[in-house]
Amino acid sequence: MGSYFKTGLVLMAFSIVVGLMLSVVYLVTSDPIASAELDAKLKAIKTVLTDPQSGKLLISEDKIPQDMEQLNQIAWKDSGEADLFHAQKTQSFVSSPAYRFTLEDGRTAYILSGGAPGYGGNVVIMASFVQSPSGYGLFQVETLDYSGETPGLGANISLEKSRERFAQIPYSGLQAGVRVDRDAGVNPTKDPATRADARKNGVVIISDIMTGATITPRAVANTIDTMFAYLQAQLEGE
Amino acid sequence: MEKKNLVNEFSKGLFQNNPAFVQALGMCPTLATTTSAKNGLGMGLATLSVLVLSNIVISAIRKLVPEKIRIPVYIIIIAGFVTMIDMVMHGFTYELWKTLGIFIPLIVVNCIILGRAEAFASKNGIFPSILDGLGMGIGFTLALTLLGSIRELFGAGTVFGITVWGDAFNVFIMILPAGAFLTMGLLSGLFNWIGISRAEREKQRAKLAKQQAKAGESA
Amino acid sequence: MKVFLIFLSAILVNNFVLQRFLGICPFLGVSKKIDTAVGMSLAVIFVMLLASVITWMLYGLLALLGLEFLKTIVFILVIAVLVQFVEIVLKKTSPGLYEALGIFLPLITTNCAILGLALLNIQNQYSLLETVFHSLGAGVGFGLALVLFAGIREQLELADVPKPFEGLAGALITAGLLSMAFSGFSGMIKL
Repeated sequence: MGSYFKTGLVLMAFSIVVGLMLSVVYLVTSDPIASAELDAKLKAIKTVLTDPQSGKLLISEDKIPQDMEQLNQIAWKDSGEADLFHAQKTQSFVSSPAYRFTLEDGRTAYILSGGAPGYGGNVVIMASFVQSPSGYGLFQVETLDYSGETPGLGANISLEKSRERFAQIPYSGLQAGVRVDRDAGVNPTKDPATRADARKNGVVIISDIMTGATITPRAVANTIDTMFAYLQAQLEGE
Repeated sequence: MEKKNLVNEFSKGLFQNNPAFVQALGMCPTLATTTSAKNGLGMGLATLSVLVLSNIVISAIRKLVPEKIRIPVYIIIIAGFVTMIDMVMHGFTYELWKTLGIFIPLIVVNCIILGRAEAFASKNGIFPSILDGLGMGIGFTLALTLLGSIRELFGAGTVFGITVWGDAFNVFIMILPAGAFLTMGLLSGLFNWIGISRAEREKQRAKLAKQQAKAGESA
Repeated sequence: MKVFLIFLSAILVNNFVLQRFLGICPFLGVSKKIDTAVGMSLAVIFVMLLASVITWMLYGLLALLGLEFLKTIVFILVIAVLVQFVEIVLKKTSPGLYEALGIFLPLITTNCAILGLALLNIQNQYSLLETVFHSLGAGVGFGLALVLFAGIREQLELADVPKPFEGLAGALITAGLLSMAFSGFSGMIKL
């Protein structure tokens, strides 16, 4: 019994020493970690406010927040740790916070983050919704988290050519409900004009470049639908 | 003699006793994180860091640890370093950290680290342990980078992101889990084949030498 | 309903060994005979279930104290203790199996599948019930892959394999083909 006790003590001693060292490293790295996360978020915001074709930023460079404080100032809806909205049917969600920007040309843009279950975990995206004469349209998306998707398959959702398929969905498309071509029964095509037409009906043609990986783009489509539903509900209330 | 031994401690981990191809240790990260050359390299370097650091500490305290609980103590130390590397990568190499995801904490159960701690660091001085760690770690990194490069080359037509032949010769399966097993199996077979033919040649050489010696005697 | 899907997907669609690459060391090491494979699988299922539940609860405690960064250390210690416990129990109740598993029993500690499972439960933010079903599925999936592989390897021993591919290399290629087969389950479950 005595030797067990001594063994336990030695073990605890080692654990405490290692635990203390870890706490030190934790304190040292928590600032770089916070700034790395912030940078990733700011980069994403910049991406969704950049025109995919022209590469031009929709707002002036200095309007983009540089730190946590400025970011909090442009927050439109904030629910702390909890999600802003959760859709039961597709298990998709809109996460907090959501941001509102005023663009160079005076239009309003809303930036929402959210996700839906993909192949091996949630696929999280950030999307910008820009004001247009008929209503809000989806401007651009950026992937924030796709670590559960298979590399080379679902993970290709993060590539520019994949995201470009989701970009520029007009209000009519969002109203109709965003879905991938597989689910809408539409055949893929190499013609960008046909793809743009399909987007007017909410159909995103992506199966030609994401073969064998329908789950991931479907998750993105569901997320966009949920984001749009949330946006509509909030704007009606305002 | 001392110097030659030290060099040997380092180099044995590179080819002769390569942890991935010869000892077949650390298979999980080897197959999972080698979807591209960069990921393989990143994972290898992270493992190398933990290996060297834990070898140093375990070697330094080897006389203080009671025999009975050495494995749990080693595990605590290794887990500590893994958590540190995880935090450092989170703060300074965010993209790579995100990509490697769950496999960074899984370095804890990489049999290579516990294996070297048990087989070497617990019985040798600090400097040889550093060399052992470096050798094994670099050998492992080379294996991962090689595997990652092959899979990336045939799966996406690029190596380290630099396009080699684009979509021309792609074998889709390479990026999938099955491709990892197959590539590893083929590379393993290749290593074996090289080892076998080398052994054959040695045997022939020895036979020839014996014959010549015999001929020399009778002459 | 969702828990059943989680259970099924962990066995087939997201098989821990063949798709997620967790648990490869014992997969390649213990799969030479079917009976050791079965014994190992049962031990792993048991440890996985207990470890998942305990680590899930401990993580709740860690989160409460703001000490999430200690999860790796805490989890691996829990697993090490559990395996030690299983070893003691097995030695008393089934010495035959204990002997057969040999060195591989303590090696369950370093089985990345168990730690990986614990970490995944947290990452996917599963509830306790979902965690239980996920762990059962993971264990059964591991066992399935292990026993299938052992069956194939027993046959492979008798076959005429080219020399460079004897042993590990041939096993890996076989595992690759098995993994390809399981890829066929992909997309079967719309979670």
